[in-house]
Amino acid sequence: MKALFIIAQWEFWRHFKSRSFILATFVSPLLFALMVLFPTLFLENPNANQPRLIGCVELDSTTICQKIQQRFETLNSEKPSDIPLRILPIRTDTSQAMKERFLRIAQMKHELDSLQDAYNKIKERRKYIFQKPRTRKREKLLRQTYEQLSATREARDLAQLDYQKARAELDSLWHMEIIRNADNLLRSQTIEGYLLIDPEEFASGVVEFHSLLPASFLQMGSIKQAVQIVMVEERMRQEGLRVAKIQELLKPVTLKEIQLQGEQKQEFDFMVTYIGPIIVVLFLFISIFTSSGFLFSGVLKEKTNRVIEILLSSVHHTQLVAGKILGLGLLGIFQILIWYGLTLILIGLQVLKTGEISFLTWQNAGLFLLYFVLGYLFFATVFVGIGSLFSSEEDAHHLNQFMRLLSIFPIVLAVLVLESPNSLVVRILSFIPPLTPTFMILRTPMGNPPTIDYYISAGIMLGSIIVGTLFAGKLFKIGSLMYGRKPKPREILKLLFSRL
Amino acid sequence: MKLELHEVSKSFLDSPVVKELSLTVEPGQVVGLLGPNGAGKTTTLRMILDILRPDKGQITFDGKKINRKIRYRIGYLPEERGIYQKYRVIDVLTYMARLKNMPGNKSRVEAIRQLDRMNLVDYVESPVHQLSKGMQQKLQFIIATIHNPELVILDEPFRGLDPLNQKLVREKIRQFRKEGKAVLLSTHQLNEAEDLCDYFLLIHHGETVLQGTLAQLRKKFQKKLIIVESPDDLSAIRELPHLKKVIVENGRAHLYVEENAPIKEVLREIVNRFEISRLELYEPGLNDIFLETIQHAQ
Repeated sequence: MKALFIIAQWEFWRHFKSRSFILATFVSPLLFALMVLFPTLFLENPNANQPRLIGCVELDSTTICQKIQQRFETLNSEKPSDIPLRILPIRTDTSQAMKERFLRIAQMKHELDSLQDAYNKIKERRKYIFQKPRTRKREKLLRQTYEQLSATREARDLAQLDYQKARAELDSLWHMEIIRNADNLLRSQTIEGYLLIDPEEFASGVVEFHSLLPASFLQMGSIKQAVQIVMVEERMRQEGLRVAKIQELLKPVTLKEIQLQGEQKQEFDFMVTYIGPIIVVLFLFISIFTSSGFLFSGVLKEKTNRVIEILLSSVHHTQLVAGKILGLGLLGIFQILIWYGLTLILIGLQVLKTGEISFLTWQNAGLFLLYFVLGYLFFATVFVGIGSLFSSEEDAHHLNQFMRLLSIFPIVLAVLVLESPNSLVVRILSFIPPLTPTFMILRTPMGNPPTIDYYISAGIMLGSIIVGTLFAGKLFKIGSLMYGRKPKPREILKLLFSRL
Repeated sequence: MKLELHEVSKSFLDSPVVKELSLTVEPGQVVGLLGPNGAGKTTTLRMILDILRPDKGQITFDGKKINRKIRYRIGYLPEERGIYQKYRVIDVLTYMARLKNMPGNKSRVEAIRQLDRMNLVDYVESPVHQLSKGMQQKLQFIIATIHNPELVILDEPFRGLDPLNQKLVREKIRQFRKEGKAVLLSTHQLNEAEDLCDYFLLIHHGETVLQGTLAQLRKKFQKKLIIVESPDDLSAIRELPHLKKVIVENGRAHLYVEENAPIKEVLREIVNRFEISRLELYEPGLNDIFLETIQHAQ
């Protein structure tokens, strides 16, 4: 027993003083925290970024774009943490040719109007003549005015046809010009997208959005909301409601989410409830894989440089493995305690607010520590067992990569926990040893799992650790003594169940 | 401490590595465990150290089976040896000494004392990787013996050492013998073994092929070879009786005599027939015994 503690002490101190431990304890979590928090800070500070522009063009001279812009700004001022988007109504400057076309259309309209006036005057005159007594002069005048009326009507109808044709052409050109101009702004990345308001389609509830990237990438939620409100406003206005009443009716809804946690209820916060436990799990993994990594590389190095032979001549192989696991486990606990200490300092400095972060409780701290110990012991046995079978670090490199992949796997599956923390699938997965620590730690603040799940998961972990330790000890002995060559899988299986 | 191996056998994956090996190592005795590569020497040493358990037979220390306390009385220098490179010499020595049940302070004092004896005291605070290869070998020797063991097991202790340090290790082994320690020495350097060991055990393919003191081994071999040098033509020497094999070369003949042949008669016959410039009943060295025994066993 004494040798076990001597080995544990040696392993603890030699790795405690190593640069890798300092990196894993302070630098990696700091980098990790920065990686997680940097984008959040980036989003929360609109000044840190130039606002992204979303254009708005309309195929008519209505003021829908201005209304959408105003409504969007009102909504955004109520939610300052949203993405800094700005809506910009786009006015199309027409070319000289387009202006001449407009002038010509105006002239045509003027001509058409003149012909219409002339036509109306002739009609009025004919009415006046018609009311006079029947005379030969009257008959003559009526004949003359009829011919004038017919000629003017023909001229007016022709002018109207010309005008309508020209107008349709110009409208089409105008729309094309507007869209071309907006597309140019889009291509030059002056704007990231634009809303195209066609009054007729708008009335039926359709607005086009043109962009280079899919709209979902631009986080269009608040823009869509602004468009919807303006659309409803317009419909209500047509129904004859007052503007003040419309605005009162369309006041945005704030959905306050309250989550039941045990006997207490807590306001739901995505960052705190979802991201918080994931950060804790990632810290847990840093700790488990720092300690297990030390164990893995330690076993491998002692095997490669043959210190193992000297150690085995002094202590029994189970004492050696147990001492290493104990020492590095204590190092992992110490690492977690350092993080607890830092958390307490942050709480003391009011950087972290325990009132807002509901899972920061002593009970949960105890559970995290429990699952760290169980997770570490489980992975330690796996690392010792497998690491012992390699005779060089190069050989073990591929395995190390595989183990890293394996370590990410539970985090990938964590999505299932986020979706439904107490579903049958999640509960079953919680009882599979490599997944247990991650799943139970994620479930604790999210789903308040049944007490029985803690007992079952801890029991399964303990059982796996005992079986794992027996196999790891044997594999350690096989691997340590078969120096210079890698044992074949069949040999390993045979030796596992034979007396050494 | 008296070490006894009684008909010890060990197999790996159904292949026998050590077969019914028996050996006794008395206090104050240096025993040479000899054999070609793969003979089963390291497995034997590992069984003595309880790193491996024998399938059959018994290993006892002063009549008792190995236990934790006995383990502390054994020092072991393995053939494939290494040392923590990044850590200070004193820390490594203290750790290894503590694993041999030495109290922390005593192990520190003893480490410095041993380093001084091995001319390494200037490197107490240095990390191991700053020491030369030879110095590291000496450090490993200190690790094996820092706890003043009663039985010292040395597997190829001279490997990697320069002649000066080989001499130092030789002197240490002699000193162990003087102090009444039992030493089990496994080596390929047969001249060193011949010089140091009181008793030899030669194993081949896990089996004991020869054992005894050097005198006993020589006795078995000395009758067998006669060297003759003569100005006469020695071709006729082949006609002499009781000879198994004769090699004649440049006026010298090597005569391999039959087992139980009357040596005196053969010698007299040679003297009578030829003019002799040299007549020697060759006393074989350990090297000759080793080679011939192994060749014979094969």
